[in-house]
Amino acid sequence: MPFASALRVLIVDDQLTSRLLIRGGLQELGVSDIEMAADGEEGLKAMMSKPAHLVISDFNMPKLDGIGFLKAVRAHEPTRKAAFILLTGRGDKALIERAAKYGVNNYLAKPFTIPALKAQIEAVVGRLK
Amino acid sequence: MIRTRLAPSAGSESERTVHIIQGEYHVTGDPSVMLTTLLGSCVAACLRDPYAGVGGMNHFLLPGRDTRARRLEAESYGVHLMELLVNGLLREGARRDRLEAKLFGGGRTMEGLADIGAMNADFAERFLANEGITCVGGSLRGDQGRRVQYWPVSGRARQSYLAADKFAPPQSLTRPAIPAGGGTVELF
Repeated sequence: MPFASALRVLIVDDQLTSRLLIRGGLQELGVSDIEMAADGEEGLKAMMSKPAHLVISDFNMPKLDGIGFLKAVRAHEPTRKAAFILLTGRGDKALIERAAKYGVNNYLAKPFTIPALKAQIEAVVGRLK
Repeated sequence: MIRTRLAPSAGSESERTVHIIQGEYHVTGDPSVMLTTLLGSCVAACLRDPYAGVGGMNHFLLPGRDTRARRLEAESYGVHLMELLVNGLLREGARRDRLEAKLFGGGRTMEGLADIGAMNADFAERFLANEGITCVGGSLRGDQGRRVQYWPVSGRARQSYLAADKFAPPQSLTRPAIPAGGGTVELF
């Protein structure tokens, strides 16, 4: 079985259009086990009920932002080993450095291309196919 | 790089004009600012929170979308520009649930090619629907370029159609000329 089809991914973003876009990109890469959440709080609930192998999360979100969500994911035993990719604006170096302190695995600059999405995921979880 | 610049006013003495070009956005709570842009197949989204008294405009063109992957990449660019505008408004005190929008552009300014303008317009409308942002006006599609002026605090918008030579297609794609000085429409 290709690795992509065994990968469970959680997308966390407050914009539905962004979530659908990332889901579409993941489907292009062969990933089908995808869950979505609209903010960090909702994402944490989803992770606690069924942990994902990989989280792709936006930073700017109401209730619990991307860094707060990352810290919470790393603080809970069932979820702390999940791979975590943060979505950022281009050149957002300070945010990336801050996220690195809390254990982010990689980042994806927006707007993204499918090859960039693939490369950033594979850098964390290995080859998808 | 996304930035905007100020230009001398063409209107009243106290009015400041900000020109928005493709890939830019601008947010302000200054009632003396008028945002303006020229559109062919591009779309400009004008958003504001009438209660917070802030508004803004962006200007985007989604590049070619011949495959699903290319479409996703193009839309990623559009989503990014919409997100920058929305986040800019939220930083200035707007609330997402109070945002209202006017959409302009998405014209088919070149015959014989894929209708990029309609695809841009479709994307902008789908984005607003997905995000629960009410569209209260504007002007999309058609076959002419537009000049749009938007006063982001009051939400007033004005559009004038451009003569064909403002968006002249390549010689081989020439279409009948549109009469110069197309009508000006005060939308709100």
